[in-house]
Amino acid sequence: MDPAARRLTLPAHVESVAVFRDFVRSQAVAAEVPAEEFDKLDLVLEEILINIARYAYVPGTGEAEVVVASDGPGRLSVEIADWGNAFNPLDVEPPDFSRGLAERPIGGLGVFLIRSLVSSIDYRREADRNILSFVFPATDSGGPG
Amino acid sequence: MSGIGGALVPAKTMTIEPTELEKAVLLKVSGRMDAENAHEFEQACEQWITRGAKHLIADLGDLQYVSSMGLRSFLAVAQKLQSVSGSLILCRLNGLPRQVFELTRLIGLFPVFDTEQQAIATL
Repeated sequence: MDPAARRLTLPAHVESVAVFRDFVRSQAVAAEVPAEEFDKLDLVLEEILINIARYAYVPGTGEAEVVVASDGPGRLSVEIADWGNAFNPLDVEPPDFSRGLAERPIGGLGVFLIRSLVSSIDYRREADRNILSFVFPATDSGGPG
Repeated sequence: MSGIGGALVPAKTMTIEPTELEKAVLLKVSGRMDAENAHEFEQACEQWITRGAKHLIADLGDLQYVSSMGLRSFLAVAQKLQSVSGSLILCRLNGLPRQVFELTRLIGLFPVFDTEQQAIATL
């Protein structure tokens, strides 16, 4: 990552999401990301961090790390890491949209939303870390790819 | 305003204002529905269902934000109401919440109206 990147590491708790959000928003302001994109940025962060808090570790243990850098005017490059069990969220199957209300599974929507709202999303396992990287906002209006 | 570096940080959390109508309960949901508070919406709905409400109308005109945990709550409440021949009706869905319902194609699973009057008229 860019040497000018900013880094924040916190316990992988639901309560940390708001602190990460404030941290990334401050970088988004500095990178001149349009303010109307901030809620979408919050959404992407929440979905990723909640997955880490719920599934990466024994609940109540472990940490998450967010690294943010400018990726040109109005764009952010973001990496989110954890030291938990190896897990590639990009392997998660998309929701089954053919099912009606009664049969529609509750859950599985978070990863789909993440993929819909960012660009260049990539997962890698590096030593004992899961690292998810992406560029925000999405550079095209297409669906998840 | 608070937070790091002068960023505009959302201070407003979620509020739910219920109004009992003749055939339904209107729940005006405002603010931000996220992983920390989505269960409050589900609990509020369940309390009305326990008291006999068959139809709930969620007025989302002032809902600024909803994440997948919020979507789970909407889905869970709608499934519960459908099982008792009731419904969860959405109105004034706009902005990011509408986009999220559209992206996840949940929008097709709920009755959605532009105004609460239109929603009430269907009951």
